[in-house]
Amino acid sequence: MILPIGPIHPGLKEPLRLKLQTQGEKVIKAEIDYGYVHRGIEKIMEGKTWQKCIYLAERICGICSYEHTQTFAETIELISGAQAPSRAQHLRVITNELDRIQSHLLANSTFYKTMDHETLFMQVLDLREYAMDAIELLTGNRVNMGWNVVGGVRMDAEQKHLDAILGKIAHIENNLDNHVALFEEGPILALRTKGVGVMTREEAIKGHAVGPIGRASGLKHDYRQDHHTYKDYFDFNPIWRKEGDNFARTMNRYDEIRQSIDLIKDAINNIPQGNIRVPVEVKSGYGEWRGEAPRGEVTYMIETNGNLIKRISIRTPSIMNIDSCARYMLKDVATVADAVTTYASADPCIACAERVAITDINTGKSVTKDFFEVNNSNLSNFEVE
Amino acid sequence: MIIYYNHKLKSRDKVIKMLKTLKDIVRKSSIHVCIVNCGGCNGCDVELVACLSPRYDLEQYGIYVHNNPREADVILVTGAVTEQWRENLRRIYAKAPEPKVVVAVGNCPQSGDVFAQEGGRVLAPVSDFIPVDAAIPGCPPRPSEILEAVLAVAPGAIAAKGRAQDKCE
Repeated sequence: MILPIGPIHPGLKEPLRLKLQTQGEKVIKAEIDYGYVHRGIEKIMEGKTWQKCIYLAERICGICSYEHTQTFAETIELISGAQAPSRAQHLRVITNELDRIQSHLLANSTFYKTMDHETLFMQVLDLREYAMDAIELLTGNRVNMGWNVVGGVRMDAEQKHLDAILGKIAHIENNLDNHVALFEEGPILALRTKGVGVMTREEAIKGHAVGPIGRASGLKHDYRQDHHTYKDYFDFNPIWRKEGDNFARTMNRYDEIRQSIDLIKDAINNIPQGNIRVPVEVKSGYGEWRGEAPRGEVTYMIETNGNLIKRISIRTPSIMNIDSCARYMLKDVATVADAVTTYASADPCIACAERVAITDINTGKSVTKDFFEVNNSNLSNFEVE
Repeated sequence: MIIYYNHKLKSRDKVIKMLKTLKDIVRKSSIHVCIVNCGGCNGCDVELVACLSPRYDLEQYGIYVHNNPREADVILVTGAVTEQWRENLRRIYAKAPEPKVVVAVGNCPQSGDVFAQEGGRVLAPVSDFIPVDAAIPGCPPRPSEILEAVLAVAPGAIAAKGRAQDKCE
């Protein structure tokens, strides 16, 4: 029997159709239908200056909006041969880690919601509000911050705001242990999560899983350890686990929150004085740069022509994670209820993952590349998937 | 509550009037919400989830986020409408029982925001597809703003629509 879930469903925050092939309660195979939020951002960006594109980069995904702007700005800096001043780099690290804390707390609370554990859902969501407060103190906005520019950051942070952020972070740190203990030591919660939705290391490599999902399956890969800011100023080691089940993914996120708290404390205590922004003259060229978003590695490939962006290609982590979730995690899950929690534990973000593929009906071949190069208006021959 | 029913015409009118006021109160104080993301960046949806947190606590006002269009009184629409939602949005609107209220959250359902440019595949505004009763601007609006707007519009509009519907029957 094929059981469709979505696109509007109590367990999902975003529109997506999950097709579960079931035998009784057992899930044999899962299929995912995308395409509900494709907006064509890469196409809009072509032929515009970076000032107009950075807003669009921010609105690719609302939850990890910060990392997109940072990676975009760093790619343009790479092409132009510039680098942000060290104070700006520290401020970027603080915001990035605050964003990671709120995203991971949201992911875990959504996981509890799908598991019908209302108490933890409410408590963790309440804790997240403190991270949102800290982000608002620093940048002036809660979700789409508009904080990064090419060559640095937009505003300087006052010392009193940085001290207030330390207070908020301390509150999260003090309260996090209670929630983690409730999850880690609860026998019923352990039954629902341990050994459910297992993805082995080999499967994670095959599915190209990244971020906390890959790291929970034993892939010791975090782009922050190769990033120049983290290399120069911080002591960073990726956190990883071996089990690869729902429990490991959730606990991996908690451990990363603790690590982010340490990084923020380190950054605020050792923040250097000086400029926050340098003027950058954008040059022609091609650049490729990566960043570690809360969900994994984001890659930006940008080709510029003078001041304008000629072609941009964005690779977001959710594409690989959702695909490996459907192929490996949802396979052989015991019940349909567990399938929904497994899907939520993979922390899917559909808004990043939408791509378009165009096939020729007559030949059945993919002509996406030709279509965008020629940009002809003869749509009748093409079928949009 | 026990309502004594008398066959005499006068008291029967009274009972119907009382029932109608009761219906009004019930409609105002228990609102089921369905969130429909028809092609946004998730930012508004995240802020709607934040409304559930104990700090804002949507449920103390009698609002329950159910995400099931068949039980919804209020449909919260976020996002600029994409190609795939052209028919689905109308279908979801038709599924919701009367009386219903549509609130557009964020800039996207009103104007398409940054996506309504050359090359973008969005069909905003949402009011081309379904009737919109209220709109909350912002990219994204704060949870307190969303709460304030929904509370200001939804209970009154649902009760008024319900009364109009009762008259028709």
